Amino acid sequence: MKKEEIAERLIRVTARELKMNEDRIKPEHHFAHDLGADSLKSIELVAAFEEEFDLDLEEEEALQVKTVGGAVDFFAELIPE
Amino acid sequence: MELKPLEDIQKPNLIKEIFPHSAPPRILFEDKIRETIDGGEVEFDPQSVIDRDIHITDTTFRDGQQSRPPYTREQMTRIYSMLSKLGGKEGIIRQTEFFLYTKNDRDAIDACRDLGLRYPEITGWIRANIGDFRLVKEMGLKESGLLTSCSDYHIFHKQKQTRQQAMDEYLGVVEAALESGVRPRCHLEDVTRADIGGFVIPFVQRLEKLTENQPDSLRVKIRLCDTMGFGLSYPNVAEPRSIPKLIYRMKEECGISGDRLEWHGHNDFHKVHINGATAWIYGVDAVNTTLFGFGERTGNPPLEGAVMEYIALKGDLCGMDLSVITELVEFFQKDVGASIPSNYPFAGRDFNTTRAGIHAGGLRRNEEIYTIFDTRELLGRPPKVAITDKSGTDGVALWVNDFLGLEGDKRLSLTKVVKIQRWVMDQYEKEGRLTAISEEELEKQVEQHFPELYAQAKSRKK
Repeated sequence: MKKEEIAERLIRVTARELKMNEDRIKPEHHFAHDLGADSLKSIELVAAFEEEFDLDLEEEEALQVKTVGGAVDFFAELIPE
Repeated sequence: MELKPLEDIQKPNLIKEIFPHSAPPRILFEDKIRETIDGGEVEFDPQSVIDRDIHITDTTFRDGQQSRPPYTREQMTRIYSMLSKLGGKEGIIRQTEFFLYTKNDRDAIDACRDLGLRYPEITGWIRANIGDFRLVKEMGLKESGLLTSCSDYHIFHKQKQTRQQAMDEYLGVVEAALESGVRPRCHLEDVTRADIGGFVIPFVQRLEKLTENQPDSLRVKIRLCDTMGFGLSYPNVAEPRSIPKLIYRMKEECGISGDRLEWHGHNDFHKVHINGATAWIYGVDAVNTTLFGFGERTGNPPLEGAVMEYIALKGDLCGMDLSVITELVEFFQKDVGASIPSNYPFAGRDFNTTRAGIHAGGLRRNEEIYTIFDTRELLGRPPKVAITDKSGTDGVALWVNDFLGLEGDKRLSLTKVVKIQRWVMDQYEKEGRLTAISEEELEKQVEQHFPELYAQAKSRKK
């Protein structure tokens, strides 16, 4: 999957889970500090990403990802182009 | 202040010599304990407990019954049998004492003796009344406790006697015991509020004189009764509250050896367990206890606490079967109808249940982080988590995985159970709930979100 598609789908899922407009979400945004994801919401986001990309993630590793751009890179490494 | 360098090690130092996890944590001493007595320094060797024959005695059927309606004969027989199994072949639970005044108590003694168990040995308890010895003799007991109150509160205000009258009466009863071939165990009631130099020592010295030429099986035993829980374990406390000084005077000034000394405490100041342990450490061999601490007013040293202390001091289970503690809990709750507080150590429903999410997270990663020892193996009680708004997704994951019986890689991750955690949080945030989520409610959630795993778990449990 192309990185652009990963970014688009990831932002769509993030917007849906955090109940905000997609255009407010930027790659540099920190999930907790900028987008307001608390610890429970962070796990729900990872669960939603797993569903979106049909993956079983290593949760400790996935929860270490802090920014939207970091998440795009993380999934780009897992999903072949 | 000299800054010590950080030891940035690669493997954790879990201090396993003290925290083995396979047993309660050890109590290790590094030196002798020093106490100032009569202006001089006296040493006690706490490490002597490893070699001394320290043991537990039980008064569940005597002091324990003073706090509740009488047990039935069948209940006493069952409890006696479990005490024997718990204490093991070495008789760590060495003796248990019975009232002798009612037919129910005497019938219970007969029923317990009919079981043919070596330990705990059965002893009696009577008031300091020569006539009451008939009961001891009739029951064929080898040893009986005698009430010998020794504070002026008791002698003057309760018994309306002088000290001389009280002592003469007590000594007369002890002589009667010896004539009957019964070993006297004098219960020095209220000793932590008594005049140690003016009454206690003169009395105990005379007791010792009376039996010093008797065979060992008849030599007087002394039970130090902290009747109101006034005893203190701290070094250099003033008499009569000092446990160390009391023990020293019994041994050094009255000639009572440690194997003839017993500590009996009460919990009026929350000191009951540690005072019992202190008595062991300072030279008393027997600590008198009751199951779950049930006893007069605030209760006695809890037997199960003494069991853990014993193991911690000895560094060995010494043949004790701790799973019997859990059997006793179930028996007391279901058959006897006793109430054990849910947070009561080693026995209460929630003694190893965490409600904090941060603790649940630790438990999920490694059980040893938030368990005192292997309660699953030793007590048959795996650590549990109670689900509330504070237990977090970690708590839900722990509960769900334990319920489903999943191990290793099969255990569900946080992301798999997060929908249940959202439901839990909604109960509190949206529904205004203030109570814990019940196990039945959680089961329903598991059934809804993991129907296949739920069905497998249910069929396994059948």
